[in-house]
Amino acid sequence: MTAWNIRPIASALWRNRTGAMLVAFQIAIGLAVLVNAVYVVKQRVDKIGRPTGMDTANMIWVSSAGFAKDFDHDASWRQDLAAIRAIPGVKAASIISNIPLSGSGSSSGFQAKPGEATPDETVAGNTYLVDEQAIAALGVTLSSGRPFEPQEILPPIETFDSSPQAIVTKAFAKELFPDDLNPVGKSFYDGLGKPIAIVGIIEHMHGAWVGWDRLDNVVLFPRIDNGPGTIYLVRSEPGRRDGVMRDIEAKLGDSNPGRLLRWVRPMDYFINQSYLDDRNMAIFLVSVTGALLAITALGIFGLATFNVSTRIRQIGTRRAVGARRMDIVRHFLVENWMVTTAGVVAGCGGALAIGYWISVKYELPRLDLFYLVGGVLAIWVIGLAAALQPARRASTISPAVASRTV
Amino acid sequence: MFGYYLELAFRNLKRNPGLTALMIGAVALGIAVCVMTLTMYRAMSGNPIWWKNDVLYAVTMDFWDPEEDYFDSKPGLPPQQLTYNDALAVYASDIPKRKLIMHKAVGIVSVDGQQVKPERVLTRLTTKDFFAMFDVPFQYGGTWTDGADTGPEPVMVISRKINEQLFGGANSVGRHIRWNDNEFRIVGVRDNWMPLPTFYDVNNGSLEEPEDVYIPFGWNTALEIYSAGNTNGWKPEDIQTYQDFLNSENIWIQMWVELPDAQSHGRFKAFLDNYATQQKNAGRHPRKLNNRLTRPDQWLVDNEVVSNDNRVLVGLAFAFLAVCLLNTVGLLLAKFLNNAPVTGVRRALGASRRQIFLQHLVEVGVVSTIGAALGLALGAILLMGLRALYTTDPTDAAGTQALAHVDVTSVVTALALAFLATIAAGLYPAWRIGRIPPASYLKAQ
Repeated sequence: MTAWNIRPIASALWRNRTGAMLVAFQIAIGLAVLVNAVYVVKQRVDKIGRPTGMDTANMIWVSSAGFAKDFDHDASWRQDLAAIRAIPGVKAASIISNIPLSGSGSSSGFQAKPGEATPDETVAGNTYLVDEQAIAALGVTLSSGRPFEPQEILPPIETFDSSPQAIVTKAFAKELFPDDLNPVGKSFYDGLGKPIAIVGIIEHMHGAWVGWDRLDNVVLFPRIDNGPGTIYLVRSEPGRRDGVMRDIEAKLGDSNPGRLLRWVRPMDYFINQSYLDDRNMAIFLVSVTGALLAITALGIFGLATFNVSTRIRQIGTRRAVGARRMDIVRHFLVENWMVTTAGVVAGCGGALAIGYWISVKYELPRLDLFYLVGGVLAIWVIGLAAALQPARRASTISPAVASRTV
Repeated sequence: MFGYYLELAFRNLKRNPGLTALMIGAVALGIAVCVMTLTMYRAMSGNPIWWKNDVLYAVTMDFWDPEEDYFDSKPGLPPQQLTYNDALAVYASDIPKRKLIMHKAVGIVSVDGQQVKPERVLTRLTTKDFFAMFDVPFQYGGTWTDGADTGPEPVMVISRKINEQLFGGANSVGRHIRWNDNEFRIVGVRDNWMPLPTFYDVNNGSLEEPEDVYIPFGWNTALEIYSAGNTNGWKPEDIQTYQDFLNSENIWIQMWVELPDAQSHGRFKAFLDNYATQQKNAGRHPRKLNNRLTRPDQWLVDNEVVSNDNRVLVGLAFAFLAVCLLNTVGLLLAKFLNNAPVTGVRRALGASRRQIFLQHLVEVGVVSTIGAALGLALGAILLMGLRALYTTDPTDAAGTQALAHVDVTSVVTALALAFLATIAAGLYPAWRIGRIPPASYLKAQ
C-alpha cells in the first residue's frame, strides 16, 4: 500500500461509478471546448490587433452627398477642404475615394511588365484616389520616395482609370519586384498596359477588406475622386479629435443646400464595424466557455459533496482509527483527481477531433499541442479547486460520529 | 396520484434548496444558450421564400475570366451577377412567367415644400415583377406597369418607413417626390417586409434591411446610375464613358425568374444555353458552357450565407447543453440516492417500482419546467445582449433589426427540444432509484 492509498480510493470510486462517469464526461467536453475556444479566440484577437500603419486614433471621416441638379462638385470639394483645413487642431485633410478598413473599396490587378499577364503575374492592390495631403492625413510613414506634389493631382474622371504615378505599400512593391528593395522611380503597369511610376513607398498600410489576404497591398493614385458623393479624411492634432469633429459638423452642416452632410465619424467606427464579427465571436466563445467550465466545476463540487455526505460514518471511522485530517483531505482530492484525469484523457481525443474540424473549416493551421497541454493543466487546477471545499469539510467530521449509532 | 407526487416533488426540492437551485440553474442556462444560438442560426440560414422554392430561380452564366475561376473556394460555380448586356438579352425572353433584373443604388430623396430634411436611401432599380415574384406586401397602391420599365416612367415604390418619415404615414400614392433631384410619382407604398436573410441580393451582407425605394430599371441609362453593391470585372478594358461601362465585361446585375413547371424550366434553360453558345460562336467566351438556374435554398448554400462562425456556435451550444444535462443527471442521481432510505421505506410499505419511477419522474418534470421557463427568460435577455453587441451605431440599426425579428417557431423548437432532453436525461436517475432493493436501506443508518 502506497502512502497515497491509490488502490482503495479507486475501488471505492468504482463502486459508485455512475456519478463519477457523468462528471468525467462533462470534463471531457469541457476540455475539448476550452482548448479549441482558446485557440480560435487567440486567432481573432491577433487579427483585430494587427497594426494598421495609420494614425487611427486621430483620423476623422466626413461624407458629403450632393443631390441637387445644379450641384457643382469641383467648387464644393475645394470649398469644403478649405473650410476644414482652416479649423484649429486640423493637421491635414484630403479628399479620398474610399475609407480603408471599412469593407468597401476598389481593387485592381497590376503587373511588373507590360503585355499579357497570367493570373500568377498579376498583383492585386487596394486602390485609392487621393490628393497631396493624403500621406500626412493617413499618418502613414514613407520608407522612401516622397508624397505627391499639388501640381501632380489629376482632375476627376467618370470611370475607373489608373494614373501615371502612384505611391504604393512595401508589401505591394515586394510582390511586384521581389528582388528590388527600393523600386522608387521604377514603373509597373495596369491591365491595359499603361505605365505607372512609383514615387513613394509606404512602410505599411491596410486597405479595404480585413478578411482579404492582400489587405497590405495598397496603391494610392494622385487624383480627385469624382462626385457627387465625396469622402474627406481629416487628421487632427493628437487628442483634439472630438473637438475637431464638432467643428466640422458646425461648419459644413448647412454650408451648401445642394448637398447632404451625411455624417462625421471617427476612424474607430469603421474598424469596429469591420472586426465586429471577429470581436463578437471572441466574446461569445469566452462567455460560453466560461459558463461551461463554471457548470462543470459545479458538477465536480456536487459530486464531491455527495460523496462526502454519504460517507460520513466511514470518514468518522477512519479518523477514529488514526487517520489525520490531512489524510481525509488527500483521500477526496485524489479521488477527484482520478475522475478529472479520466475525463481529461477522453477529452484529449475530443479536443483533437474538434481541432481538426475547425482547422479544415477555417483553413487554419492544425491545433498547436501547446494549447492542449495548457488546457489539461487548467482543468486539473479547476477540478482540485472545486473539490477543495467538500474535502476540507469532510476532514472536520468528528471521529465520534463513528461510535454514535453503533 | 399526480397531485400527491407533485406535492412530494416540491417537498423534496425544498429540502435541499442549494442543490435544487444548482439543477434548475444548469437547465436554465443550457436552454438559454441554445435558444440564443439557434435563433441566430435560423435568422441566418432560413429560407425566407420557402413557399416559392420550387418556382424561383437565380439566373447565372459563366462569362468570367477564362484563366481563373470566380470563386477560389468553389471552382466551377459561376459568378452571382451578370453583365448589363447579358442581363438585358436574357430578360427579353418571354418563357418565364415572371422575371426581373435589378441592382442596388443610393439616392437622396426630398419632398418639395415640406420641412423634412433630405434623406439618403438605399434604392433598388428593378423591373415590375419584383413585388409579385417575392410576394412583397403593399400598404397602399401597387407596382408599376410594363411600359414604365422601358420608358422609363418616373414612378416609384417607397417603403412604409420612408412613407412615415416623409408623409406621416398617410396614403401618399400619387404624391411627388424627388430622387437625386429628379421628380418621381409614388405608385405604391411597400408594407413592412423583412426577408431573412435577404436572399435576392447576397452581395453585401445578408442581414441588411431591404431597400426603402424602388424605381424602374430603365432609369440606369437615363440617369447613368452605377451600382452601389458589388461591381466585379476581370478583363482590362478601356472604359471612358457610361456606355463603355454598360458594354463592358463588368458584372453588376442580379437576375431572377419564375418558372412554374418543368416544361418552362427546360425551355428557359435551352434558351439560356442557346444564347451563351451564340455569344461563344461570336468569339466572346472561351469558357465552358456553364449556365445555372438555382433555387433559393441552394442559392443560400452556394453563397455561403451561413458563416462558419455560426456553425461553430451551434456546435458549442449543443456541447453546452450536453454539459448542463449531464450535470443535472448527476445531481438528480445524487439527490435521489441521498433520499434512498425514504424510498426504501415507501417500497417496503408496498409502493411498486413503477410508482417510485413515476414519482421521481414528476420531480424531474418540475425541475425541467421551472428550468425551461427561466431559460426562456434568460434567453430573451441574452438575445438583447446579442443585439447590443451588433449595434455599433444606434442610428444605423439594419443588422439589429434582423435580430430583433425573432420568429416564434425557432424559439418554440429550441425550447421543446431542451425540455424533452431534460426529461430524457431524468429518466435514468428515476429508473435507477426504482431498482434499489428496499432491504439494503432499511438496515443501516
